[in-house]
Amino acid sequence: MRVLSPWFRIPAALLCVLPVLAQGQPQDGELAERLFRSGERAYAAKAYKEALETWGQLLQTAPRSDFAPMALLRLARHQVDIEQKPPAAMPFLDRLRSEYIKSPEAADGLLLRGLLLARQARRPAELKDAMAEFNRVLDLFPDAAVRGEARLQLGRAWRDQGQLGRALQQFIDAFRLNTGSTIVPQALLEAAETLDLLGDLPGCLKLLQRLRTEAPQSPEAAEATWRMAVRVKHRLLKPAFRNDGPWPGGRTKWLKTPTLLTVTPAGELLIFQNDLDRVFRLHEGELTQLEPPAPGTRALVNGPTSVLLVTKAGLIREGSVTPQPLGTLGAISGAALDRWGNLWIADAKTPAITVFAPDGAIRTMASPTANALAPLPAGGVVIATDADRKFLFLDGDGQPRIIVPYGKDLSVPFRSVTALASDGAGHVAALVDGGDYGEGVVLFGPDGTVLRQATFKSLGINGRITSLALDRSGGLILCDRRNDLLIRLN
Amino acid sequence: MRIRLLLAIPLLGALLWAQDPALKDTFVQAKALWATQGDREGATTRFDAVVARLSSRVASLEPEWIQVLCESYNWLAVLDDRSAPNRARAQVRLQSLLELNPDFELDRALTSQRLVSLYDRMRGEKFALVKLSCQPEGGRLLLDGKPTAVLPRKFLPFGTRKLVYGRPGHAPSEITLELGPHDVKSVDFKLVRRASTIILYTHPSDVEILLDGQSLGFAIGKAGPEAASIAQPLGLQPDDLSSPFIIPELMPGKHRLELRAPCFRTRILDLGAELASPPADHTLEPFRMAPSKGSLSVSSVWPGGELFLSGQSHGPLPVADSPVCSGTYELLVRFPGGGFSRRITIEEGKAMAIEARPKPRLAFLGLDEGEFTGRARFQGQMEALGERLHNLAFLAPRSGEPPKEALARLKASREAELFLVARPIPDKVIHRVELVLATFDGEEERLVVKPLEQDPLNSLTARLNAMPPIQQPSLGVSFLDLAGEPGLWVLSASEPALKAGLQIGKSVQSLAGKPIASLQELQPRLEATKGSLSLVQEGASSTLQLQNEALEIPLGSSSLCYPAVLAQLRLQYAGAKGDEANLIKLNLALALMQFRKYDKAIELLRDTRLSTVRGVSQGTVDFHTGLCFLHLGTSYQSEAAQAFRQALKYPQSTLLGPDGPLVAPLARQALEDLK
Repeated sequence: MRVLSPWFRIPAALLCVLPVLAQGQPQDGELAERLFRSGERAYAAKAYKEALETWGQLLQTAPRSDFAPMALLRLARHQVDIEQKPPAAMPFLDRLRSEYIKSPEAADGLLLRGLLLARQARRPAELKDAMAEFNRVLDLFPDAAVRGEARLQLGRAWRDQGQLGRALQQFIDAFRLNTGSTIVPQALLEAAETLDLLGDLPGCLKLLQRLRTEAPQSPEAAEATWRMAVRVKHRLLKPAFRNDGPWPGGRTKWLKTPTLLTVTPAGELLIFQNDLDRVFRLHEGELTQLEPPAPGTRALVNGPTSVLLVTKAGLIREGSVTPQPLGTLGAISGAALDRWGNLWIADAKTPAITVFAPDGAIRTMASPTANALAPLPAGGVVIATDADRKFLFLDGDGQPRIIVPYGKDLSVPFRSVTALASDGAGHVAALVDGGDYGEGVVLFGPDGTVLRQATFKSLGINGRITSLALDRSGGLILCDRRNDLLIRLN
Repeated sequence: MRIRLLLAIPLLGALLWAQDPALKDTFVQAKALWATQGDREGATTRFDAVVARLSSRVASLEPEWIQVLCESYNWLAVLDDRSAPNRARAQVRLQSLLELNPDFELDRALTSQRLVSLYDRMRGEKFALVKLSCQPEGGRLLLDGKPTAVLPRKFLPFGTRKLVYGRPGHAPSEITLELGPHDVKSVDFKLVRRASTIILYTHPSDVEILLDGQSLGFAIGKAGPEAASIAQPLGLQPDDLSSPFIIPELMPGKHRLELRAPCFRTRILDLGAELASPPADHTLEPFRMAPSKGSLSVSSVWPGGELFLSGQSHGPLPVADSPVCSGTYELLVRFPGGGFSRRITIEEGKAMAIEARPKPRLAFLGLDEGEFTGRARFQGQMEALGERLHNLAFLAPRSGEPPKEALARLKASREAELFLVARPIPDKVIHRVELVLATFDGEEERLVVKPLEQDPLNSLTARLNAMPPIQQPSLGVSFLDLAGEPGLWVLSASEPALKAGLQIGKSVQSLAGKPIASLQELQPRLEATKGSLSLVQEGASSTLQLQNEALEIPLGSSSLCYPAVLAQLRLQYAGAKGDEANLIKLNLALALMQFRKYDKAIELLRDTRLSTVRGVSQGTVDFHTGLCFLHLGTSYQSEAAQAFRQALKYPQSTLLGPDGPLVAPLARQALEDLK
């Protein structure tokens, strides 16, 4: 049981007096309601200025009415949703928290404040204030409808801090105690993924199935479908890789020197064609060219809203022309964007990983020289270092969580790693070469266990494979620059 | 109805007479003492006793007793007149007699001429003689609106008097008289017939008479000797028949006569037009009603039930083949904690068997004060709520009983498990009504509705009708719907399922000989199956036994009404044993946790022992016990830790259901947090 914080008690006592004071001016309440409704009408008509002014007037003329906290919440949401200026919402939310903590809107306000604080955070430690707000929602508002959302956000914060057990508690409570709520599909998905991170694959699969059964039309159910499929295929069935040949549909010689591949969060394949200096999106068998041209692209990164191209000239965002310089990095071998918006870049000639923060700050993390890099869903990255002949699964702070020697669980070792790819379910695929193993692919589980592997010789592949991607059907897409085609391994 | 009352009078009189034989004996003894023994004192004492008993309640006396009282006054006047010390009282006796019934004539064989003359003189001072002639006879006379006896000589008080004479089937006649001292007037009533009358008798009595579907009343009482001629042909005595029931005005045309009585077959008689015209009095042959009964059996697996049919107790359950009069009844079985109600119709010669499953009783206490548009409609919808409820027995409010009083009554009597009250939300104009639904232990939910909505009770009805299951049939197998994989993919299976030949990692393509495409189809098919089920997996068949697996009720669901869920579970618990009872207790505790009644939940969980160790099982119970202790604050941390440690002993225990999340990692984390 959570105990109400002492800071709550004094304002609460003061607020108890407010209704008595308000009784002296009965017409105020009526005026406040009219002002609030008028603001709502204007807002619905997208007359935002008029709406904001009306609500502002309400706050001035009837600050003690029941409609004042409602107006404050509307003003804050406007700044977030329409103006997209979260910092501008904070004063409204601060006032809502300090002056109207007993109002029903305070729960929504605290939750929104927590969400904005979480969004501002750039590393786990900065989530503290956001978590305090989520906890306040749970402690102070036992009947609030937003408790489920608060639990979900609290779970995500614990997960981002690496506290998977606590995260699981919150995710499970979020769907267990809020049956039928809109947050249930998200909570189920998060809980399932957390169970997988905790090593409970059957539990993960059962929750994913529950999600599909309980909310079959939700976007989360679609996510659950492929996550279940790839987990069962890669980790339980583990069939030997089979060469499906040129993909899609047996197409050959249809690309111009494809060198890089990645899969977007929506499951679409991005292909960088070196001869065209461009990235293309493959959607239902058709290629769409992305702007701008990006000669010398070394890595493709999926951002939350756009694709990032890491080139010799610097970082190019989709739709933007001017590259952002990346310092002295000259032999970029991989890049990934973490949950905080930090861009991790590995350089084959630098024994470190360089992290570019969204505010422009650059951090260098000590690391063996990385020949390839791929993101991990928990927030860290996996790197392959040929010098040490190891894979390092790094957490969000760059600390190695799992170390996997090259050739572990294989009958013969390989010597180098050309490229790495990962999927949202924590699988990592490596394009390997050299040694007795020779050219081929190895698929690892989230714990570094070898799940599936094959040499190109055994698969009858003799092109020049430079990149790979994991698709959502449990297949591997290989990029053959010599033959200008893609190959799918099933 | 008036006729019914008239007919009732002699019956009641007879009953009264029969009920007071001692007084009648006193009266007869008094007459005998004087006539045969000349015991004036003894006779006077007894007549005085009769007068004392009757004079104080003259207004309610029947004509027979009025006659006894009149005669007693007559005798007392004679006795007093013969005793010198009491002679003065004789006049007082005569005065009382006149006040009681001025039409009474003194017994001239008994009374001296002097006393008779005195009586006539006293009567002439206040009353005038009216000579009556009434044609046809057998009608009813009203004096100034009050019934009075039809006599050839009537003594009426001086002043303006209105006399009305009427008879069924005739137009009534009315006359107004001005009466003064020494007046002697004659009145001739000659009524004109205007309709036919029907006189009927029934055997037995207490039969409802309906004419053209309209109830006219009941044939009651017993017929007198005058009915002997019509009773004998049926082999009956006159008093086997009801008093005559008169249909006073039979309008021209055909009519349908219907006679109904509980436990008897309804009789229908078509009356031809010739009965109505020409107008005449018709006496029908007596109606002999044929008995009509069926049989009723009521049983229940729940103990302590008592059967009531339309409010009358028929004893404790089980009731087997009890003969019951045919007809429609409100059947109610009262259980110690709940009730079962249904409207039933027993058909003649047929047997009805009912298995009574108690339902929680929801008492609607009423709609609080507060005027708003549509109040009557809304109230009607509230009172008709019971017709829409499947899981609850609905008790309508008592007429005129305020909700507060009803609540106090029900709290004391525990005749319901739930109550519902509707409270208009005060405002300048009331547009919202708050519905409060609660158990008598204080678990309460509130719902605000708008009374002008098309169906303001729709949401409440849906929630009250929703009862989550706490068990579901299962094959002991965890299936997945895998994209691109036909059928159900087996993730894991219980030992019996594996022994039966089921293989993990392969898909089941058909169940009970029918293909199955997705997991959505599985549960309905399991629920429609009993015993065992055959599965085909890559051509290999295996047969699995169905078993019930435990479930937790969903929490925080807006589609459930948790007070109703609690009431339902409490009722189920009363009839449950073993693991079933313990599973109900676990779910009762969960429902109490929904209301943050953690202490009460612990009380339940403390004694809950499930023999199962997989799925929702003992580890689940221990985990929730730990959670409840955590909610009680820091004082109970050690108890919480102990409960979580206990939960860790059941690594296969889950939340929600057999495929829910495991309890163990949550308990482990909770223990970690408590360190």
